[in-house]
Amino acid sequence: MLDFTILTDNFGTYLRGFGNTAYASVLALAGSFLLGTLLAVFRITPVKPLQWIGTAYVEFVRNIPLLLVVYLFFLGLPSIGVVLSPFACGTLGLAVYTAAFIAEAVRAGILSVPKGQMEAARSSGLSYGMTMRLVILPQAVKIVIPPLNNQFINLIKNSSILSVISGFDLMFYADRIASDTYVVFSTYIFAGLFYLLLTLPLSYATGWLERRLARHD
Amino acid sequence: MIRFQAVDKHYGSFHVLKDIHLAVHQGEVVVVVGPSGSGKSTLLRCINRLETIASGELTVNEVRVNDKKTDINKLRRDIGMVFQHFNLYPHKKVIENITLAPIKVLGLSKQEAEETALFYLEKVGIRDKAGAYPAQLSGGQQQRVAIARGLAMKPKIMLFDEPTSALDPEMVGEVLDVMKTLAREGMTMVVVTHEMGFAREVADRVVFMDQGRILEEATPAEFFANPREERARAFLSRLIRHG
Repeated sequence: MLDFTILTDNFGTYLRGFGNTAYASVLALAGSFLLGTLLAVFRITPVKPLQWIGTAYVEFVRNIPLLLVVYLFFLGLPSIGVVLSPFACGTLGLAVYTAAFIAEAVRAGILSVPKGQMEAARSSGLSYGMTMRLVILPQAVKIVIPPLNNQFINLIKNSSILSVISGFDLMFYADRIASDTYVVFSTYIFAGLFYLLLTLPLSYATGWLERRLARHD
Repeated sequence: MIRFQAVDKHYGSFHVLKDIHLAVHQGEVVVVVGPSGSGKSTLLRCINRLETIASGELTVNEVRVNDKKTDINKLRRDIGMVFQHFNLYPHKKVIENITLAPIKVLGLSKQEAEETALFYLEKVGIRDKAGAYPAQLSGGQQQRVAIARGLAMKPKIMLFDEPTSALDPEMVGEVLDVMKTLAREGMTMVVVTHEMGFAREVADRVVFMDQGRILEEATPAEFFANPREERARAFLSRLIRHG
């Protein structure tokens, strides 16, 4: 069954991959959250050109495979003379791709905040931007936490795309261990456990955040 | 202070406001009454441009509300608004609800803003609720916070959009009392309401609207004793019949 010597013999290798996957995930998570929120705000502003940019981005990016988005950075950028590390390309691709989904989740959250909140804030003289930042988004975030959790879990798992472009992530090293030892089953089972080590605490943390933010309702 | 001249507004093919002429002077309390859908809330919401007008002219303190060059955020500082559903910020404490705009818009320090907030909370009788969240308050208390929030900007005009319509009957009085105090202190107020007792007691003028038109404008004494318009008479008699 499970060959534990795979884990003990290659622990350092697993750990390196795990570290890189965690690092790529955190960077992409922060990047996609900021970009996604910005795009969501673009899509609902009264400013038409911003709406177009937001809509075009979301519809383009979420409707092509993640692999192609990553290739855009990995193969596309060098053709205009910009060469980034595979790790950077993979992380950027992840952030850009996930942002499209986060934008839709955040937009739904913003739209579910009662209209009266915007009216009350605007009628007190706050600008549209301040109202968004201080009144609407803090309420939207609360609503958006469960769907965001989904997106973040997807992001962590999707980070295995880095292995395709030699991004030194967990999956990349798992592939390497498998081809060195020919012990395929155990190698990937342990890789899977390392992914759970990232995704399960994330779900737990968002669940906690959700309960904490709900306490004044 | 507020002047509507030949103002019209449409929602698609629906003509909500028809040829509105109305002037509200400093220190006046104008109460707008009429059946549901008559356009009274829309009329009120035009004053701080929550609604735009299609044609005509609307000025507040001689500033044209719908002029593209008008800094609407600046104009809105001087116009407090109280809504039917309170619209307090649920994620902020009572005191933060009140200090938000004074700090962010007027640039007051946190301490100054909190002093002002406590002053107005005292005035509306719920200073002890400063640290509570809106969801912990009754409807009447929430609406009084909303009034304090409006007053904390030291506005020149206060707009009230059916401020007691969403309240349980036993809480209507506490909100109306606060509004009466404000009126006595000389605040310029435009109030959309179904509270005829309030209109009779506090209004300088009553404006009756129906189907987007102002049909009658009179002192409460004249309006309630002897309405000139047939539709105003019908409206009042229905109210009296149903208590």
